[in-house]
Amino acid sequence: MKQRAIVAVLAAAVTVPLTLAGCTGLGSKSAGPASAPTSTQKVTLTVWSAFSDRELKGLGDAMDGFHKLHPNITINNVGNQDDNKITQSIRGGTAPDVAISFSTDDIGQYCGSGAFQDLSGYISRDKVDLTKIPQATRDYSSYKGKRCAMPLLADVYGLYYNKAMFAKAGITSPPKTMSEFAADAKKLTQYNADGSIKVAGYVPTPGFYENTVQALSPQFGATWEDGRGKSAVATSQGWKDMLQWQRSQMTAMGVDKLAKFTAKAGQEYSADNAFETGKVAMIIDGEYRTAFIKAEHPGLDYATAPFPVADRDPSRYGTAYTTGTIVGIPKGAKNAGAAWQLIDYLSTQTKPLVQLANLLGNVPSSTDALGSPDLQQPAQFDTFLKLYGGGKLENNPPSPNGGAYIKVMEDFDLKYASGGTSDLTGGLQSAAKQIDASNALGQ
Amino acid sequence: MTAAVQIPVRAPRTKDYRRSRLLAWIGLHVVAVAFSIAFLAPIVFIVLTALMTDKQALTQDLWPRTWEWSNFAAVFKAAPLLQYFLNSLLYAVLSTVLMLLSSIPVAYALSKLKWRGREVMFYGVIVTMLLPPQVIAIPIYVLWAHLGLTGTLWPLIVPNLFGDAFSIFLMRQFFITIPQSYSDSARVDGASELQILRRVIVPMGKPGIAAAALFSFLNAWNDYFGPLLYTGENQANWTLSVGLASFHSVHQVEWNLTMAATVLVMLPVIVLFFFAQKQFIEGIKFSGVKG
Amino acid sequence: MTVLEQRRGAVPPALRPVPRRGREKWRNRLTVLAFMSPWLVGLTVFFVYPAIATLFYSFTNFDLIDDPTWAGLKNYTFMLSSDPLLWQSIGNTVWLTIAITVGRVAFGLIAAVVLVRLRRGAGLFRTLFYIPALAPPVAASLAFVFILNPATGPVNQFLQLFGIQGPLWFNDPNFAKPSLAVMGLWTSGTVIVIFLASLLDVPGELYEAASLDGASGWQQFWRITVPSISPVLTFAIVNSIIIGLQYFTEAVVAGAVASGSSQVAGSSQNIGYPDNSTLTFPMWLYDQAFHQFHMGYASAMAIVLFIVSGVFTVVLVRRLRSAGIGEEE
Repeated sequence: MKQRAIVAVLAAAVTVPLTLAGCTGLGSKSAGPASAPTSTQKVTLTVWSAFSDRELKGLGDAMDGFHKLHPNITINNVGNQDDNKITQSIRGGTAPDVAISFSTDDIGQYCGSGAFQDLSGYISRDKVDLTKIPQATRDYSSYKGKRCAMPLLADVYGLYYNKAMFAKAGITSPPKTMSEFAADAKKLTQYNADGSIKVAGYVPTPGFYENTVQALSPQFGATWEDGRGKSAVATSQGWKDMLQWQRSQMTAMGVDKLAKFTAKAGQEYSADNAFETGKVAMIIDGEYRTAFIKAEHPGLDYATAPFPVADRDPSRYGTAYTTGTIVGIPKGAKNAGAAWQLIDYLSTQTKPLVQLANLLGNVPSSTDALGSPDLQQPAQFDTFLKLYGGGKLENNPPSPNGGAYIKVMEDFDLKYASGGTSDLTGGLQSAAKQIDASNALGQ
Repeated sequence: MTAAVQIPVRAPRTKDYRRSRLLAWIGLHVVAVAFSIAFLAPIVFIVLTALMTDKQALTQDLWPRTWEWSNFAAVFKAAPLLQYFLNSLLYAVLSTVLMLLSSIPVAYALSKLKWRGREVMFYGVIVTMLLPPQVIAIPIYVLWAHLGLTGTLWPLIVPNLFGDAFSIFLMRQFFITIPQSYSDSARVDGASELQILRRVIVPMGKPGIAAAALFSFLNAWNDYFGPLLYTGENQANWTLSVGLASFHSVHQVEWNLTMAATVLVMLPVIVLFFFAQKQFIEGIKFSGVKG
Repeated sequence: MTVLEQRRGAVPPALRPVPRRGREKWRNRLTVLAFMSPWLVGLTVFFVYPAIATLFYSFTNFDLIDDPTWAGLKNYTFMLSSDPLLWQSIGNTVWLTIAITVGRVAFGLIAAVVLVRLRRGAGLFRTLFYIPALAPPVAASLAFVFILNPATGPVNQFLQLFGIQGPLWFNDPNFAKPSLAVMGLWTSGTVIVIFLASLLDVPGELYEAASLDGASGWQQFWRITVPSISPVLTFAIVNSIIIGLQYFTEAVVAGAVASGSSQVAGSSQNIGYPDNSTLTFPMWLYDQAFHQFHMGYASAMAIVLFIVSGVFTVVLVRRLRSAGIGEEE
């Protein structure tokens, strides 16, 4: 009773100024699907994505096709809007009509909190056939059965290797297991006279480019969650294997030397990318790298292959991490009806999907588009199409507080692999505890 | 400890005395010069790096092989630096002007008018001044979000219309040193308090007001937390601080450009300092010594 | 003080017409109210209300999108039992606060003592010492990450001359905080200027008398210099502590830049780099509130910060009070 009185007083103190400010809740509660604008109604849709330059233009081209179909809808294509900016705009009530996010890490947060509007009303109204989207992709674009985003394109991760360096080192085929991979990396690494690394066979430092816990863990069979939604990082043997492997790699190359090497490595998404400039012989990366290489270093002699798997179970070869670009309608969008029309067009129509896939070098996320003869990609791209259709795709689970659990593992991974601690079991246990506690906090 | 070089005054003026005095003089200057080098070396390094090619900036070279003055033009192409500059300017100038409009009368009331509760109110100013901004950031953010003003710099500018604690504190400290007799004689002449403020306190308190204005300007110019929180999603409203912090994430190996941008962000403040050195130093003394 | 008291009355009583007294009192009250009104509004809207609201939010689940729901003490129990990063961030903040306070005050004092002894050129040196303090924190952080860059930075190169293998500085969890502390020394010009001004106020005769008594330079420093400037010393210490408790910008920017991440500074992915060694309490609060949408939990953290900084604020205010700062001079 006493508690209730305190709440009442505090609530009054808080809500009075808020009522003065005009309203009490940010954005309105979504009440079913909004209808599309009539053909005479002029609408401007603001679309946010983290694309820039070449990719942003590609997106603009694809959306031009939509504008031709709906001349009354003009599109304001805004680039460089990463997830931070998207979340910030939603919480600040200045969200765009359509938000495109590169990372599926935040999907749980977007869906769970209602930051992205529920699309199921639109999907049933317009009878969209979701079965044309592969299961793994459907999984990472929804959260607990709530579909608040559509997949735009998919990313699949594999091994990129420099063919010229392979030939020079006498390596004839890409490695399939982690021990083969480590042996090749050692052969490929070259040192300067002062002992510093000149060319790295592979940079094992966690967090370097796409060498992330999300992308690497499937290769070791490391799983994030057990069947009951609790963190499995302490119980899944794969994590121990992965961290120990990374640590041995880092120790072999020298933690200090690696730090100095990465401090000089070029920005990942630029022409200075260390793989593209020949400073690193092997990387784990998504299929989109083929498009970057085509645009920035067309002369690079490279090939792709599935990324190696842990020695424990070689039959897992062909396992790949997948994630993708998702598109949704943020809470507070001004033209939800028209926004859905654009999303429907972009994510389910073969023509824009193939057009975007060709321009961005991504895997189209519908089975129709996957088999389209219009899909034009370099030979190196085939690896990723095969991996995508191979049925061994894995993804990290959505969580209500976004990528917070990933950061916990990233931090511990880096700490353990670079020799900051030797307590692997204890560290994984406390990471699991931390992940579970943090997930429980927002509920 | 340098205090050890203190020499006894009563020592006879012998040869020894003169020699030890000379040694002390040399020692002192060596320390002063060493400190100066430590203070200036980082600035020299970043300026030199800003003038290198991107390849050379990644080597261990200290001296540019070729002087790439064009880097300073290139940063304007690499990032909308001019836009950031104008945003910083808007934020800093408007904040300062609004702060002066609102805080001068408050500082006056806290220093020159006599009323009950004045002391308590003054401590209130000090408490607000010392409070970490993160403590109250959440409800204020919610407030601005409800008003639809997040994504802009207004949530950072508008509060200055309601007085800034540090400025009030600084000006109050200054106003209080203005002899009461000046305002008294104006009062005898029938001047209203507002007239006294305008005709006596403001002209006489100019150094204090100038110092407060300078610090308010600098505070806004250097602010990172505020613009990050409120304009993060809207790059068009980024200030130099936010833009510079993000510059490196896009131009990681172009340390020459990153350092050129850094130099350009530092430059206006240093120029301002040389124009208003006296106000700076006086202001600092007032905020600390008299406190 | 008493002399001033007499001078203070608004108008000498003899000049004031007695019958108008009541009206004048009201006029005076209204004048004060009018002059104070901006601040009264500001204090209410930007201080009192947010303080109460923060307290309220700290007992709720609040993600900023939906309305807050009551959560009781959950946020506080989570803080005490289940958030290891919270304790790490507290540890980092305490470390930085102590290092920055001790470093700035000791170094500021040394530099000021040197300056005060330089008869000629003191002004020039003071300017040189002060310039780095002007550098915007973001710019200073970038500059330091560059000059301490393990691969290309001049500092490690300089150490190499003496055969010393320099540390990884901002890339090593053990050296990231010391690197920030060194940066704190570089920008300590404000403290130096304050100390210098107050040293110049110490009467020279005190030193002369002490010299006559045969006190050494060291004794003079502790017996005369330190006591004479003790008010300023306290101010500088408490002020540094309060700055330390707010430590945010430098750690965010240095961590982001040193991590080499292509994520924008301040994003969840690179705060605290390396290994959360630069994650300060305000950073963790910011991340919880504005990246993880745990507004309720972040509010609970804000309340803790409020209490801790409140203690130091009270110390400083009492110190100022005993120095008579609230009084009219």
